[in-house]
Amino acid sequence: MEPGWRWELSAVHHLRLRRHTQDDDTLSPALRLDTFKMAMHSPDSGSGGSGPGQDTLSTLEAAMADGPVAELLLRRLEASDGGLDSAELAAELGMEHQAVVGAVKSLQALGEVIEAELRSTKRWELTAEGEEIAREGSHEARVFRSIPPEGLAQSELMRLPSGKVGFSKAMSNKWIRVDKSAADGPRVFRVVDSMEDEVQRRLQLVQGGQAEKLGEKERSELRKRKLLAEVTLKTYWVSKGSAFSTSISKQETELSPEMISSGSWRDRPFKPYNFLAHGVLPDSGHLHPLLKVRSQFRQIFLEMGFTEMPTDNFIESSFWNFDALFQPQQHPARDQHDTFFLRDPAEALQLPMDYVQRVKRTHSQGGYGSQGYKYTWKLDEARKNLLRTHTTSASARALYRLAQKKPFTPVKYFSIDRVFRNETLDATHLAEFHQIEGVVADHGLTLGHLMGILREFFTKLGITQLRFKPAYNPYTEPSMEVFSYHQGLKKWVEVGNSGVFRPEMLLPMGLPENVSVIAWGLSLERPTMIKYGINNIRDLVGHKVDVPHVKCKDQEPQPLGESKEHQQWEENCKEEAGGGPASASCQLTVLEGKSGLYFSSLDSSIDILQKRAQELIENINESRQKDHALMTNFRNSLKTKVSDLTEKLEERIYQIYNDHNKIIQEKLQEFTQKMAKISHLETELKQVCHSVETVYKDLCLQPESLRLRRGPDHSRGKSPPRPSDSQPPDVFVSSVAETTSQATASEEQTHRDGEC
Amino acid sequence: MPTVSVKRDLLFQALGRTYTDEEFDELCFEFGLELDEITSEKEIISKEQGNVKAAGASDVVLYKIDVPANRYDLLCLEGLVRGLQVFKERIKAPVYKRVMPDGKIQKLIITEETAKIRPFAVAAVLRNIKFTKDRYDSFIELQEKLHQNICRKRALVAIGTHDLDTLSGPFTYTAKRPSDIKFKPLNKTKEYTACELMNIYKTDNHLKHYLHIIENKPLYPVIYDSNGVVLSMPPIINGDHSRITVNTRNIFIECTGTDFTKAKIVLDIIVTMFSEYCENQFTVEAAEVVFPNGKSYTFPELAYRKEMVRADLINKKVGIRETPENLAKLLTRMYLKSEVIGDGNQIEIEIPPTRADIIHACDIVEDAAIAYGYNNIQMTLPKTYTIANQFPLNKLTELLRYDMAAAGFTEVLTFALCSQEDIADKLGLDISATKAVHISNPKTAEFQVARTTLLPGLLKTIAANRKMPLPLKLFEISDIVIKDSNTDVGAKNYRHLCAVYYNKNPGFEIIHGLLDRIMQLLDVPPGEDKGGYVIKASEGPAFFPGRCAEIFARGQSVGKLGVLHPDVITKFELTMPCSSLEINIGPFL
Repeated sequence: MEPGWRWELSAVHHLRLRRHTQDDDTLSPALRLDTFKMAMHSPDSGSGGSGPGQDTLSTLEAAMADGPVAELLLRRLEASDGGLDSAELAAELGMEHQAVVGAVKSLQALGEVIEAELRSTKRWELTAEGEEIAREGSHEARVFRSIPPEGLAQSELMRLPSGKVGFSKAMSNKWIRVDKSAADGPRVFRVVDSMEDEVQRRLQLVQGGQAEKLGEKERSELRKRKLLAEVTLKTYWVSKGSAFSTSISKQETELSPEMISSGSWRDRPFKPYNFLAHGVLPDSGHLHPLLKVRSQFRQIFLEMGFTEMPTDNFIESSFWNFDALFQPQQHPARDQHDTFFLRDPAEALQLPMDYVQRVKRTHSQGGYGSQGYKYTWKLDEARKNLLRTHTTSASARALYRLAQKKPFTPVKYFSIDRVFRNETLDATHLAEFHQIEGVVADHGLTLGHLMGILREFFTKLGITQLRFKPAYNPYTEPSMEVFSYHQGLKKWVEVGNSGVFRPEMLLPMGLPENVSVIAWGLSLERPTMIKYGINNIRDLVGHKVDVPHVKCKDQEPQPLGESKEHQQWEENCKEEAGGGPASASCQLTVLEGKSGLYFSSLDSSIDILQKRAQELIENINESRQKDHALMTNFRNSLKTKVSDLTEKLEERIYQIYNDHNKIIQEKLQEFTQKMAKISHLETELKQVCHSVETVYKDLCLQPESLRLRRGPDHSRGKSPPRPSDSQPPDVFVSSVAETTSQATASEEQTHRDGEC
Repeated sequence: MPTVSVKRDLLFQALGRTYTDEEFDELCFEFGLELDEITSEKEIISKEQGNVKAAGASDVVLYKIDVPANRYDLLCLEGLVRGLQVFKERIKAPVYKRVMPDGKIQKLIITEETAKIRPFAVAAVLRNIKFTKDRYDSFIELQEKLHQNICRKRALVAIGTHDLDTLSGPFTYTAKRPSDIKFKPLNKTKEYTACELMNIYKTDNHLKHYLHIIENKPLYPVIYDSNGVVLSMPPIINGDHSRITVNTRNIFIECTGTDFTKAKIVLDIIVTMFSEYCENQFTVEAAEVVFPNGKSYTFPELAYRKEMVRADLINKKVGIRETPENLAKLLTRMYLKSEVIGDGNQIEIEIPPTRADIIHACDIVEDAAIAYGYNNIQMTLPKTYTIANQFPLNKLTELLRYDMAAAGFTEVLTFALCSQEDIADKLGLDISATKAVHISNPKTAEFQVARTTLLPGLLKTIAANRKMPLPLKLFEISDIVIKDSNTDVGAKNYRHLCAVYYNKNPGFEIIHGLLDRIMQLLDVPPGEDKGGYVIKASEGPAFFPGRCAEIFARGQSVGKLGVLHPDVITKFELTMPCSSLEINIGPFL
């Protein structure tokens, strides 16, 4: 069922839709950018109203309403050799062409019964005014006829319906004249006695289908007078199809339990399904796309034997968030501009003081082989509470706990949770986002080990070609940014950040000197945005997210690298991933370049325009598909509604039948009772009659005795039966009959209603 | 990461060869730099201000190079070239020398008034320097880069450079009342008092960012020469009198600040970078700084430090097997002159004054790894055998999420931060009753507090999705934060599950049914005994009276469910009845 919304755009720049491969020749609503000329096939393009766009819209109604016409059509078709023209058939049958077209459509929908070829012919047709003239004569003729021999005042003539037009025409035809010298104003007189109404004759010719008898000049003159119009008639040339048959039965739409039990499905034809229509989506809940990707990452870590760290503390002290990580107190990340500090509770209540002392010494004086930062470390600064800026604070706590357990046991840790930055918000930055972090602590871990485990991790994401770039993070040394080769861009793009935690961070915790801790991190949002093709992070996180968006984006996440999303990911991974496992936020910045494109006037080259046009068209196609789905759903729900309604109606009718039946039954019973009574009375009456007769005879024979016995007879009320005496039972009978017939009528009435 | 912008041709000229963009990008990658952008002044201006303004701008190709935040020695063309040339073993790292002047040493005397505002100052002299336009520009640009990075926007250190020939020492670094300071500042034509200047600069796009450092302080720092000429009023502006030009031959450099270590590093960087253009290359004339306590120090320090690192430590940390000799060679390429000493396994490394970032052996290890080439290192999997464990709370959350979705509810992800109004006023609560954690420096009202309930986020999500067909069934399982003095930081996360049903009817039975399903999943039987669950009539300001129940499970209250109060619905800009359920899932672990 494809309404006429197909646009076609064709080909100077040969922009092609990526997706229209199989839809090309179907009735899909897909757009094609094939030309600069846009032609919209609208249903009202022809007089028959049967433009291709309407093709199937009417099928449903037609199939319902055109039964008899379709049958007629099939019979005629059987008799004909070759085929039929729908317009001719309509003329022969004396019906609207549209009705025949409807029948053609409904037959087409049955499959191969008939073949119909759309033909368009041009012909001349009268306009409404032309028809009037063909019927009643031209205006000038009417004017001529309306003038009596004694003439007519011009003012009066002008008041006639055809007055103005007819007057000037009749004048130019020299049928009439005006006498301006008349006493009561100008008067019009006939000049000729009779005239030939040529216009009417010509129009009648056209009306009779003989327009070709008129000359080109005559036709164009009539057209100029808007009496004639050339119309394009779309007709069908109907011929027998491969499954031609005159006995078409109405097709079943669906298999029903009755059909299965009775086996009638064997003999019934079934309407073909439209497999292009969309299905009805199941009514279900959905998981959030970002959290689905989170689950995927969790799975990867678990597969690799990593234990999840507790990260359920959004509030952290500066000490654990910064100082413990050997991040100096003047570090820019500790600025009000970058970090959310707390007003209440403003300060941490407890810190592990002996550990704090070791941290303080390392910062201000050095130690553990370090020069330190040589500044005055302040406890107040370390106490300041904040919303953690990275989950590395949780890693620090986990490592500190690990250091307290003796002897040391190697561990592999991971976490994925929210972190907070006091950033200026834009399309790629939010004040909160998710950070993914992996940590391995063991004796003698090397940079090679870090690279090795990163290779395994990214392989599980589907990213195999890795390269490492030296970088700087405050609490890892050595540090390396992880790059992956992008096949599409033919260049290396960043996918994560990593490093070996500094001894200044680990040794004050109490970890053994030969234990190394390697770690890496990335943000959860960026790969997710790339995976789902989201440009604005607000479309992914927060309350402004479209719930339908969540629904349509919740397809099962594929391994990120196995699909083309991987390429996209990398494409967007141009910029730094930020300061080590900590600052995954910076990774979000990568998308900036992309969105910037839309605003840069410099980039409006043909390529971009083409790309945008392509995008636009894809959008249009997408929304058309949505519309289509909507229509399908609407139709489906309409069908269900209608069938529901019919069912209800039917039920009600049956209810009424039942009620009526009851009444009828009752009345009938009463009726038979009364009838029995009547017959009883009749026999009684007969007996009385009989006895009266006998008495009468007796009286006749003995007149005196009769006169004596008459009185008492009367007083007993047993008068002889008379027709008028039987009135009440008669009335009763007729009223019952009436009720019954009324009931039958109303039954029929509702039946008809039901069918309608 | 600071970005340094250098002229490509100038760079190649200094490097003594040309590169294609790809080759140079490759070189940067290897060295730990990033060729961020290839552009020109014209392109930059046209991008920022449009083509018209860019008409007259230069077409010279610029390389924008990202430099690691701790490598102050790479913040200018001179440093970059020196670093790369040494890395490619085309030159040997120069040795920077501090020399005493033939005549009198320049003196900077610090008075005790500075103690409260900006107590430290260091100074040095670049003698017989020869600038060109490019060198001069680079000199100014380096100061700016240092100001933005290590100097923390001039808060820690501020640099002043002066034409020494216009001044006469000794100099005095003191602090005075703003009204008592009067001088003609750089690029102005007349004298102003410090108070006036502070007002003028409020509208100066460049300088207004530094005013807060001294504004509202009783005394402002200022440096005078022996004739009372103002050299500068750090950290805001220099005097116009001693301004340097392309023709300046002798430069007096002063760095004042609150961080002595950083002031010394900044001075070292400037003099090591630009002594290249002095008549005696890489030599710097010393200056004497007298502190208020009378002690006198000579600057710049230009300290060379020796570190010993065992070769096998480097091999072990990186995961390579190189001979000590090779390692020493690698380190030398990183500007760290090294040689094998002692038992043949010890490497002695000389840390030059330019490499203030080397504070631990691990920094040396990294440089060895960089010189070796990260991508030449053999990848190996750590043999760390561990059994994975999920964090129990997250494990429970994951299980519940799937079942909530299976129950027909759609998951949302809302912000953990919100406005006070969201968690209090809109729910009919007083903010003090919420025990919420408050943020001190939010940029907008959206980040005033951490949420204490998930409900507002869900209701806001519904409000943003009102056009959706009803009913809306949403849920979220995430953390909320409550103040709690029993924890070390004074606040605690709780894992909440919240679900809402929004339709033309309140649908309490649906939300109640969901609760029953959740309890079924959690294996909590109905009923009060044996750790079961029960709901009891209750009330709450967010709920419609008589339509609220408290949920008790395993003997404790875990949350509430009910039909939301019409006021709550209206305040969240909703129009339909709504029922909700919110429980803490912690007790079900």
